[in-house]
This record gives sequence, C-alpha cells and structure tokens, in this order.
Amino acid sequence: MGKISLHGLDASPPTRACLLTLKALDLPFEYMFVNLFEKENYGEDYSKKNPQHTVPLLEDDDACIWDSHAIMAYLVEKYASNDDLYPKDLLQRAKVDQLMHFESGVVFEAALRRLTRPVLFNGESTLPRDQVNHINQIYDFVESFLEHDYLAGDHLTIADFSIVSTITSIGVFLELDSAKYPKIAAWLERLKELPYYEEANGSGASQYVELMRSKNFTIVP
Amino acid sequence: MGKLTLYGIDGSPPVRSVLLTLKALGLDFEYKIVNLMEGEHLKPEFLKINPLHTVPALDDNGFYVTDSHAINSYLVSKYGKDDSLYPKDLQKKAIVDQRLHYDSSVVTTLARSILRPLLWENNSEIAQTKIDALDAVYKNLNLFLETGDYLAGNNLTIADFHIAAVLVGLVVFLEVDSTKYPKLADWLERVKELPYYEEANGAPGAQIVALIKSKNFTIV
Repeated sequence: MGKISLHGLDASPPTRACLLTLKALDLPFEYMFVNLFEKENYGEDYSKKNPQHTVPLLEDDDACIWDSHAIMAYLVEKYASNDDLYPKDLLQRAKVDQLMHFESGVVFEAALRRLTRPVLFNGESTLPRDQVNHINQIYDFVESFLEHDYLAGDHLTIADFSIVSTITSIGVFLELDSAKYPKIAAWLERLKELPYYEEANGSGASQYVELMRSKNFTIVP
Repeated sequence: MGKLTLYGIDGSPPVRSVLLTLKALGLDFEYKIVNLMEGEHLKPEFLKINPLHTVPALDDNGFYVTDSHAINSYLVSKYGKDDSLYPKDLQKKAIVDQRLHYDSSVVTTLARSILRPLLWENNSEIAQTKIDALDAVYKNLNLFLETGDYLAGNNLTIADFHIAAVLVGLVVFLEVDSTKYPKLADWLERVKELPYYEEANGAPGAQIVALIKSKNFTIV
C-alpha cells in the first residue's frame, strides 16, 4: 500500500467527505492542514500538485488527485475489500455518480461556495435572499431522493458522504426543518451512528458553522 | 443489446455531450425531444423517468440513468469496445472524474447563471463579473491541457465532450483568446475535427448560438 496524504481542513465539506471515506475504509493517512486564509493553496508546492488550488487534495505515493468525488471513487476502487461504497454494477454506479454530480453543482457550487466565498474570503457582510432560498430546493430534492435508508439505495455509499458533508454545513444559512424533511432528519441520525462520523464530519461541520456565524452576515432581500 | 432512448433537446449542452458519446461509440438510439420551453420536463410522464426533471435522461431497455456525466460514464463502461473514452486505470480515471466534476460544479453553474436570466427571464444585462469568471474557467481549462492534447491527457475522453458542448454557447459571450489561452484554442480546433462533431454538437448547438445572439445582450 502506498503512502496516503490528504491535504485539506476540517471546515471544508469536501475534505470531510474524503475523511469519512478514509475512515470507512480504515486507511492510514497523513492529514495535512492547508491554511486557505493564508493562501497556502496558492503556494508553489501546492500549485504544482493541484493547479486548480482547491482542497482537498490526495497524494497516493506519486499520484496527485483532486476533487473530493474523484478522490472518494479512487480510494474505494483501489483499497476497499468490497464495492459497497461505490458499486461496480453499472446502473448502481450511475446512481451514485448522478448524486455526486448533483452535490457538485446544485449543492456545493450553487449553494455552499456561492454563499461562503463572499463572506469568508471577500469580506462581505450581506447575502442575497434568493441565493439563500435556493437551499429550499436542495432540501426538497434530497428529501425526494431518500426513498430508501440511504441516498443510492439500501446501503451506505460515497454519495451519502458527499451530500452529508455539505448538507450539514449549509444549515448555517437556512436551517433544516426536521418536521418538513423527516427523511433527511432520519438519514442524518443514521449517519451519526457511524463510529467515525463525529471525527470525520461532525466536528468539522460545527467548525464551519461557527466560522460563518462569527462573520455576523445578514441576509437581505 | 436493448433499446437506447435519449431524452433531451439540442440546446442543452449536457444533452449534446451525450450525443457526442453515443456517436463516438457508434450506438443506435432513439432521440426523444423534451421541450423545456413548454415545460415538458415537468409533466408526470417525464417525472417518472427523472424526478429531478433535468435533461438528458437515458432509458436503457427500461432502466433509467440521469445526469449527463453519469450517463456518459455508463455508456462507455457498458458499450465501449475499449476504455479509452473513460479509462479503467484508476489514476487516469481520477483525472477524468476531476474534469467531469469541474464541469458539473464550476462550469455548469456559471453557464446557467449567464444563460438562465437571458433565455428564461428576459434579462439581457450580463454582469462583467460573470465574464471575468468565464475567463477564469478558460484559464483553468488551458491549465488542464498542459498534460496533453486533450483535457484529461493524451487521449480523447468524455471530459472533452462535456466541455466542447458547453463552450459552444459560452464563446458567444467571450471568445477564446488564442494568445492568452493557446492550448485551449488548439484543443477547440482539434475536437471540431472529430468526424461526428458537426452532427452531434456543431449543428445542434447552432440553434442555441442564434438564440443567444438574438437577445442582444449587453455586458455591464
């Protein structure tokens, strides 16, 4: 087995999705903190490995892989003893892929990043209400996806890791109403029972929420 | 092989990425138009196929696959004579996957934020910041092309299909500057030479280009 390093930080949802996967696979790895506020991701070393300057970044011996979804799929395919987390069956895999692309575009980019960037990195103190309200659509969709215990069916997959990392973060902008979204609430409780959940996602999600709250942003019509 | 049906509409870049894949694989399929302008994607018959009400959607002999990236990976894995369009090698695949997610996160969201107000909400003013963001996308795509002739390395992959499809509309707002982004400009010419490019992307994309231009947008 190669030497695995994950570069990122707990507050970052995609980093947490990868942490959940590494823990689920029980893989030893080095966790390297990347200080985004000091622009470590633009440093020469980091840029050589990831010219897109994003976190997380996985190093596996000489391989440098980025994008959390690509990382998770790679880790499961390379190291897992079975394909539960990322099924080899093509139709089941397509379902997981669809959910991960939904997370990439609709959840991460259009909600989390779009709302985090101005406040955390550009010093803005207000966010437009229509952008925040987009989160309602996300909750609606995820609730409708949960026809079974997990997003892609009856068992846990990396799609759950991907979406839980952002869903537990965007609540800082628009809290999840458990009464309105009982399936999401039940699914969250189910994931919290994973022995590594708190370490891999729970505490990092709280960190992210606290960080955003400390900026005292307001939502304006 | 069962019957393949693609649901979609020519204007949609993700649909055209699947058309490119289907043509590249030499697959027979039925193409059923879903008229988004008339809300056909919101009707019960389509919602049964895709509750997320997006196009494209694929019906493979009664089994439905949604999201263009998932569809393209599925088609290559199931029907490809080889894996060149979506490599089985884990490291090579990870590079393609990262390009696919760059498309579904950054590129698609930006494209939607530019096209939605223009085409659906009658708003013909486009903020300069969006054009700046588009320039940043070109910069990244040019960077990805450092590693080879195509977006994920030296071989054509489905990653190239997604970006080729979405750029058709985006270049109307900002041309690819070949002095600033020479690799991207070269790549654009290279993909246009694919024998099925015109049928799967060029011609179907021409309509959307005409539509965009007819809106007389201004950058503010």
